[in-house]
Amino acid sequence: MSVRAGERALGKAVSRRGERTLGVLSAIALLGAMVMALFVTPPDAEQGQVFRLIYVHVPSAWLAYLSFAVVLVASIAYLRTTKTRWDRLAAASAEIGVVFTILTLVLGSIWAKPVWGTWWTWDPRLTTTAVLLLIYLGYLAVRRMTDDPRRRGTWSAVVGIVGFVDVPIVHLSVVWWRSLHQAPVVAKVAPRMAPVMAWTLVLSVVAFTLLYAYLMVLRLRVGRLEEKAVAEALSPRIGAAAAKAAVGG
Amino acid sequence: MTAVSPSSGLRRDDPAGAATDGAGPAVALDRVTRVFGVSPALVRVDLRIERGETVFLRGANGAGKSTLLRVMATLLSPTYGSGRVLGFDLMAEREEIRSRTEFVGHRTRLYEDLTAAENLRFACRLYGLRTDGAPAALERVGLNDVAGERVRGFSQGMRQRVAVARALLRSPELLLLDEPYAGLDTAARDAVDDLIRATVARGGTAIVATHERARARMTTRTLFMQDGRLLPEGVDA
Amino acid sequence: MSVLLEARAIAAKDLRIEVRGRYALAAVLPFAATLLIVFGLALGPGRATLQTTAPALLWLAVLFASVLSFRRSYEAETEDGALEGLALAPIDRAAIFLGKAAAVTVQLLLLEAAVLALVAVLFGLSVGSDPALLICAFVLGTMGLSAVGSLFGVLEASPRAREAVFPLLVLPLAVPVLLAGVKATAAATVADTGAAAVTTRSGWSWLLLLVAFDAVFIAAGTLVFGYLLED
Repeated sequence: MSVRAGERALGKAVSRRGERTLGVLSAIALLGAMVMALFVTPPDAEQGQVFRLIYVHVPSAWLAYLSFAVVLVASIAYLRTTKTRWDRLAAASAEIGVVFTILTLVLGSIWAKPVWGTWWTWDPRLTTTAVLLLIYLGYLAVRRMTDDPRRRGTWSAVVGIVGFVDVPIVHLSVVWWRSLHQAPVVAKVAPRMAPVMAWTLVLSVVAFTLLYAYLMVLRLRVGRLEEKAVAEALSPRIGAAAAKAAVGG
Repeated sequence: MTAVSPSSGLRRDDPAGAATDGAGPAVALDRVTRVFGVSPALVRVDLRIERGETVFLRGANGAGKSTLLRVMATLLSPTYGSGRVLGFDLMAEREEIRSRTEFVGHRTRLYEDLTAAENLRFACRLYGLRTDGAPAALERVGLNDVAGERVRGFSQGMRQRVAVARALLRSPELLLLDEPYAGLDTAARDAVDDLIRATVARGGTAIVATHERARARMTTRTLFMQDGRLLPEGVDA
Repeated sequence: MSVLLEARAIAAKDLRIEVRGRYALAAVLPFAATLLIVFGLALGPGRATLQTTAPALLWLAVLFASVLSFRRSYEAETEDGALEGLALAPIDRAAIFLGKAAAVTVQLLLLEAAVLALVAVLFGLSVGSDPALLICAFVLGTMGLSAVGSLFGVLEASPRAREAVFPLLVLPLAVPVLLAGVKATAAATVADTGAAAVTTRSGWSWLLLLVAFDAVFIAAGTLVFGYLLED
């Protein structure tokens, strides 16, 4: 039942007007967040200007994991309903998620160099994110393995579910692995931040989330257009109803 | 537990065969369509086959014969449309269909490193049949002297005979054969014919996709397929 | 038939095929041995380095060699399309997964015993300090690894699987097995050089992680395996 409510909400968000609104909103929020991040907030007491990376690194990491959570939900929904729209959602989220995951790792690396002197410190959170990236890449590779949409959707859904379930275990194992060596941790999302910094971070996270939603809506629209094209190609041969069923209704 | 004849195909836990059979025709398909990506393999197939019939399915390569048989065997699900096989729904009651249907293709589904007898015994275990029927089945297809040899050394004809022995053990209500005669020697072809006759003699149904015209005398009906469509009966492709 | 009985029939079939084909002996063990020698050459000949890295090299060799075992497990199913036969049979899908995972676990455990012996010889690893921990680490780690490998091994049945998708999937997912296995093995085989600061106690806590991993993956595999067989 909650699946139907989800489908209705999705329907609203992906209308053309919804798309434009999202685009404008996310642009404004991003602009605001970047202005705050670069000019309004003070530099960090210990790390100086480099600390400003937190305003893109943390939201980026948040999105990397949010995207994968969406992949999980969409994968479960696809296995249960076999409706292509869920597979489309999962694939879109995975594609966008990969980008943010890579961004997180790159930013984490850029941050580590001036602060700790090395490009990579095997920080638990970044290491887990690196493994997450590999799982994402596995997901996308599985999608390229077959042309049949049913098989592609089912196989990648299995990877999406199993991969997501594995991530917390990976994280725990990496934390334990590191616990003997108190070596550098990259992002201190410390409670000692000044209020303006904390609010900027929140604004940044919201802005990035809006950006994610906008990119998703765009990608979903492209996906729907692709399907419409396929349905139109099939329709003269097998009938409109069957064509609709073939692309997943 | 009553003694069960090994070739009766009855399940060990269902000695009286009291499992409810679906009623109705052997196969009833309604606008069944199957699409692979952008290519339609089956296009709005309407089909009704009564129990006890022996139906030959003919058509060129790529006409959709294999796909149709696989849909009936529940190996593939239809993209669109619905159907009932042996009275059971094609989508919702697949297990019931599977336990009463045997699919014989040109891939024999054997394990190369197991012997013929071991392959049969494993199949028996999968279907809940008694394994002591295996030697008799192998004898019936003329393979009793190679029962203890690994399948890896068998010819295609011998392998297909093992598959036939497996089907004989299962005694299915519906027999689906996809180009079963391809690459077979005479003994194997006869074994396949024997299987079809045995199935129909028991009241079962056989549907055979084949190029072989010579088998036509065994059939009650011939259907033609072209480009994924079932041609109206009486039309020769 | 119950799921476990069905799984047992499938596991027995897999093991019988392996005994006949002796693939493990012919290909998997030689591959693991080659890896170890190559590792030794790359890292040695200093004894101290080899002793400290021995647990890691052991598990790396097992991890890479296991890919061959998982492939072989499904190769037997695709030679003549036998996997279809399993899919058509009125058995619980989970039984196929559990049966194959159980069979490949047994095969891998035997492989690991051989690899352990090799590592003891080549790298001077002393295996006597805590055999219980060592055995548990291998048993639990192998069960988890087999769950992952047997689940995704089905993908090998697709013709396009020749791209290296399978290792790309299995290795990242098996990271907890690698970490836990290495740390527990290191704890159980404290070398005379005293380089390991890891105590046996924390070795046992790594086993808890393996138990959690195994529980999650066996449950997940049982639930989703059926979807991989449907079309």
